[in-house]
Amino acid sequence: MTEVIKFESVGLRYGLGPEVLQDISFNLETASFHFLIGPSGAGKSSLLRLMYLAHRQTRGIISLFGRDTASLPRTELPKLRRRIGVMFQDFRLLPHLTAFDNVALPLRVAGMKETKIKRYVEELLVWVGLENHMDVRPTTMSGGQQQRIAIARAVIARPKILYADEPTGNVDDRIAARLMHLFDELNKLGTTVIIATHNESIIQEFRRPILRIESGRLTVVPLDKDNKSSDNKSNVKRATQLLESLSPE
Amino acid sequence: MSLKQTNLALAKDDTNRFLPWLIAFMSLLAILSVAGFLLLKQVSDLFEYNSNDTMTIQVPSGNSEKRTNKKITQIINILKETGGVIEVSLVPKVEVIQLLKPWLGTISESQTLPLPQIIDIQIDRSSGITPEKISNVLTIIVPDITVDDHSIWLIGLVKTLQSAELMALFILLLIIFIIIGTVIFTTRTGMGIHKQTIEVLHFVGAHDDFIARQFAIRGLVVGLQGGLIGFLFAIPILYVFDNLLQNLEEGFLPKAEVNIFVWLSVALVVPMISSITMLTARGTVLKSLKKML
Ligand SMILES: Nc1ncnc2c1ncn2[C@@H]1O[C@H](COP(=O)(O)OP(=O)(O)OP(=O)(O)O)[C@@H](O)[C@H]1O
Ligand SMILES: [Mg+2]
Repeated sequence: MTEVIKFESVGLRYGLGPEVLQDISFNLETASFHFLIGPSGAGKSSLLRLMYLAHRQTRGIISLFGRDTASLPRTELPKLRRRIGVMFQDFRLLPHLTAFDNVALPLRVAGMKETKIKRYVEELLVWVGLENHMDVRPTTMSGGQQQRIAIARAVIARPKILYADEPTGNVDDRIAARLMHLFDELNKLGTTVIIATHNESIIQEFRRPILRIESGRLTVVPLDKDNKSSDNKSNVKRATQLLESLSPE
Repeated sequence: MSLKQTNLALAKDDTNRFLPWLIAFMSLLAILSVAGFLLLKQVSDLFEYNSNDTMTIQVPSGNSEKRTNKKITQIINILKETGGVIEVSLVPKVEVIQLLKPWLGTISESQTLPLPQIIDIQIDRSSGITPEKISNVLTIIVPDITVDDHSIWLIGLVKTLQSAELMALFILLLIIFIIIGTVIFTTRTGMGIHKQTIEVLHFVGAHDDFIARQFAIRGLVVGLQGGLIGFLFAIPILYVFDNLLQNLEEGFLPKAEVNIFVWLSVALVVPMISSITMLTARGTVLKSLKKML
């Protein structure tokens, strides 16, 4: 199975409002990496919401890992969701938990041993530069710090699909590049990555195929082969080491 | 399951401040109705036991009062001759009406209802006399006679006590319903407050059970807190009540006491209530989660 995400004539409307997404059809292959772009309000977050099953489409068929999501029984959703990492545009961190506990959440929910959890979470928090904020609650953190916690929570369980909604919105260029390398490495290890962003410089630098949404319609812009960027070698190496140390299960 | 896993503070909200006290109050009521039930049962059991050496004979009223009276005299005479019967006495009509009051309400003496005639007999059990033997002899005179192996006086009292026992159980049931209702309401409120958290838990792949467990544990804790507080308040009340019972004048009433069995039973109300609060919270969460995506 190489098609990990498949949309067939999918439409979405909120309540009785207009159709926010119309006739969306595309296939994403396993271990592909796409940017999702489009003007504000075009429906990027809405499309992601459909892809991580936060919303049901009003028409069409969505398949994840080769299975029609509409026919999935409720009891199988957790298993599917554990293979998907999501970084929300509004982070959705749990305010009463520390940074550590927020990032640990997917592992705890999956029943991992605390000793392992401690090692993985600490390692990842060090990597996103929050080693001094592990026991701090997100409510007292800056937007950029919260964003990195949200990203760490999305990648900690080594998901098969990773969605990130504006992951570089609140961080400086240096951290943005570093986070992009983290996604890149996850992608090299087999994760399908979709990143919704407005950040032109990142789109330019990382040169990946693009899903463009405009007035409810989606077009896929493939990449011209000769144009692929050269990676920032040192960051890549460190990200690879980190991710390999976070074992898949 | 590690403590950390349960430490999501999911159920922490304002409803928790009053809930243990409400449960405590309900537990106290539940404990008192359980104790009431057991004490009433002690008395009614004793009455049943004491009524052992009496039997009651009911003679249905016939069409003609004169003929009935004649038959009654006949029956009384036969009974007096019967071996093992120590004493025979006809219960006056006024008292029969009094006896039937719990079932029929107040009836005027100018009887609109055909009231049976009632004969009480004192018997000596060792003589081997049984209700069957008596009724065999008497049916020759009146075919539809009934012989009860207890004094109908006491049966009336026992019946009254037993309906009071049922009442106590009914109150217990009512209290349980109120507790369930309250827990359902507060759990729903809690879920509303923690909607975002629940959503996030779903997105990171939590099973409904995982989420329900958070609320179930909270339900258990609240139930234990409330139950124990209720039990603590019940101790002096039952203690004073027991003293009153023991100081009652010796006599007609058989003695009831708050014995070790009663104490154990009311102590069991605490785990009973906390199980109810736990299971109710769990069930409520699972049911509302089913409606989410
Ligand atoms: N929960 C909702 N209920 C009703 N309408 C919604 C809801 N969420 C989004 N919309 C509408 O759907 C459209 C697409 O919104 P969406 O959030 O997907 O845009 P976006 O591309 O992510 O924008 P941005 O770049 O600003 O994040 C907008 O017109 C918005 O008003
Ligand atoms: Mg958006």
